[in-house]
Amino acid sequence: MKIKVLISFFLFIAAALVFISATNDDGYGPYAPTPLKFVIPTGWPKPPTDIFAKNKLTEEGFQLGKKLFYDPRLSSDKEISCASCHQPFAGFATFDHDLSHGVLNTFTTRNAPALMNLAWMTAYHWDGGINHIEVQPLSPLTAPNEMGSALDTVLLFLKADTSYKRLFKKAFGDANITSQRMLKALAQFTGSLITANSKYDRVMNGRDSFSRFEANGYKHFKVHCASCHKEPLFTDNSFRNNGRPINRFKDNGRMMITGLAGDSLKFKVPSLRNVQYSYPYMHDGSIFSVPQVVDHYMKVTAAQPKGLDSNLGSPIKLTPLQKNELSYFLYTLTDTSFTKSKRFGPDGPVFFKH
Amino acid sequence: MIRSLFKKICSCIAFVLLCNLFSYAQVSFKFNITANGKPLLLNDSSYTNGFNEAYQVTRLKYYISNILFKGDDVMLFNERVLLMDAGNTDSIVFPSSNGNYHSLDFTIGVDSALNCSGAQDEALDPLNGMFWTWNSGYIFFKLEGYSPASKADLGRIEHHVGGYRFPNNVARRITLPFPRKLEVKAGSKHTIIVNIDLDKYWKGISDIKIADQALLMTPGRLAIKAADNFQGMFSIKSIE
Ligand code: HEC
Ligand code: HEC
Repeated sequence: MKIKVLISFFLFIAAALVFISATNDDGYGPYAPTPLKFVIPTGWPKPPTDIFAKNKLTEEGFQLGKKLFYDPRLSSDKEISCASCHQPFAGFATFDHDLSHGVLNTFTTRNAPALMNLAWMTAYHWDGGINHIEVQPLSPLTAPNEMGSALDTVLLFLKADTSYKRLFKKAFGDANITSQRMLKALAQFTGSLITANSKYDRVMNGRDSFSRFEANGYKHFKVHCASCHKEPLFTDNSFRNNGRPINRFKDNGRMMITGLAGDSLKFKVPSLRNVQYSYPYMHDGSIFSVPQVVDHYMKVTAAQPKGLDSNLGSPIKLTPLQKNELSYFLYTLTDTSFTKSKRFGPDGPVFFKH
Repeated sequence: MIRSLFKKICSCIAFVLLCNLFSYAQVSFKFNITANGKPLLLNDSSYTNGFNEAYQVTRLKYYISNILFKGDDVMLFNERVLLMDAGNTDSIVFPSSNGNYHSLDFTIGVDSALNCSGAQDEALDPLNGMFWTWNSGYIFFKLEGYSPASKADLGRIEHHVGGYRFPNNVARRITLPFPRKLEVKAGSKHTIIVNIDLDKYWKGISDIKIADQALLMTPGRLAIKAADNFQGMFSIKSIE
């Protein structure tokens, strides 16, 4: 008898709890996430790992990530956002800058890579030091010559902002703001930056055709360049020495991560998509135009400096006409639907510091 | 709606289970850190290592994971990752099942998979300052301080021992036999006091001289040397 009373008492309490939780509202709006599908472009390989396996891609997560990406208030002087260095109109590189501006008139020591197709990578940065897209933002957020902040400072700022609380609730179910959620949201945005709608892609899908110039350039490309800049991503994501000399920062690239002397001056092979807009080029932005890049490859394959990658083992000899053809082919990799995308671009006007 | 209902029911069940738990046996750990045979005090106190180098410690943090109790016919495993901090001497409590146990194993460090699976939370939250931002991976053991022997700026010591990639993985499995068999019965409570002897960090299998290596900030050869001294630092002081 006593037991029965006790059981019904507990049931009553449980029912009351359920009722309260169903009606209570924390004031940060509803939680009704819209799942997004990660679409692999036609003809592309599957990404080596699923970066969204433990980070469910949703419209709300993407939008939160986008807001974070364009928000200069995450930096110590409130002037530098991710987008200050990764500008949409430059294919998410820094337009016309060899090195980028960080907070308080500092400069980066490397060229800001054009962010694209990051879901196909397993190592980030020129030296591959970052092993997962989610932890990548920790580097720019805290580097004194980038956003110059600290993780706890960034979280304090976000927690004090009601609009962020709403967005975190929308994306993750409650208004709790944690480093993990912030990083996952950023990864939803950056991991979604796919560019796959250039003239080259249209030609490959049979919806367009190359000019004779471009078609010849494509042939030169396949002979001399495609072994490292592998189609359709235009990178094999490996680390290689393409003959750039050591620079004033004594930047040894991959060796700084592996500690192996054999990795000296190896850098991650960058994609060449949107290369028309992402100049200057290379890890230190030391080459300013595509024709000059081709000159570099011709010079370096003739000189064969020590350590040069074996894919560049024989001299590349191109006539001035062929050089132009190759450049014109590279410009077919421009995807303006990406660089001018409303979805990836800022929601309002932004000011970039130069 | 359904989700929150489910959550509530779960928490009710968890509550009932928790009530039961109080009749379970409990084993807790306390990690005591000593230097020169005295309990380590952060900041002000000065100690001397085996090379006659004086030093002060301002910060000492390390990860412990995959704690395993071995018994005659029982094993008890807890894969949780714990961030230990010399500035905080709380003990760690585990509910334990009954049995006779004779040794304790744990890892100093973090499983390699957790070093490369993206943003983590709790003990592994990068907010804890134990995650390298330029060369992803956790710092497994962090010792910071000052020494007149240090050749670094301001006489600093900064030892950030970590690395999960082969061949520079410095996660080390520590095995500690109990001085006597630990009998765990229903309702019993035990505290295992583990001693960490900092003297052995400097002078163990490897020699770590502050004058030569005040700064240790990357995975590699030096980190391996330091990690090779981990096993020697740990011992069981007592079981209560
Ligand atoms: C001050 C300029 C600057 C800011 C601000 C900045 N970045 Fe970068 N970003 C760089 C540079 C430079 C690199 C190359 C770093 C290296 O290789 O060491 C880079 C690399 C990256 C990469 C790796 C790309 C690849 O192909 O490997 C990603 C992803 C990235 N940044 C995202 C972000 C995000 C997200 C933010 C904001 C939280 C951000 N960046 C803020 C300059 C910047
Ligand atoms: C051995 C592999 C390899 C081959 C072959 C190769 N590249 Fe590269 N390429 C690289 C690497 C590695 C880098 C980055 C080097 C650095 O940052 O210092 C790079 C960088 C570039 C860049 C700069 C992209 C940017 O965003 O900064 C361009 C453009 C380029 N290569 C074009 C070409 C062309 C055109 C060819 C053929 C003539 C070619 N590459 C052949 C490995 C290669």
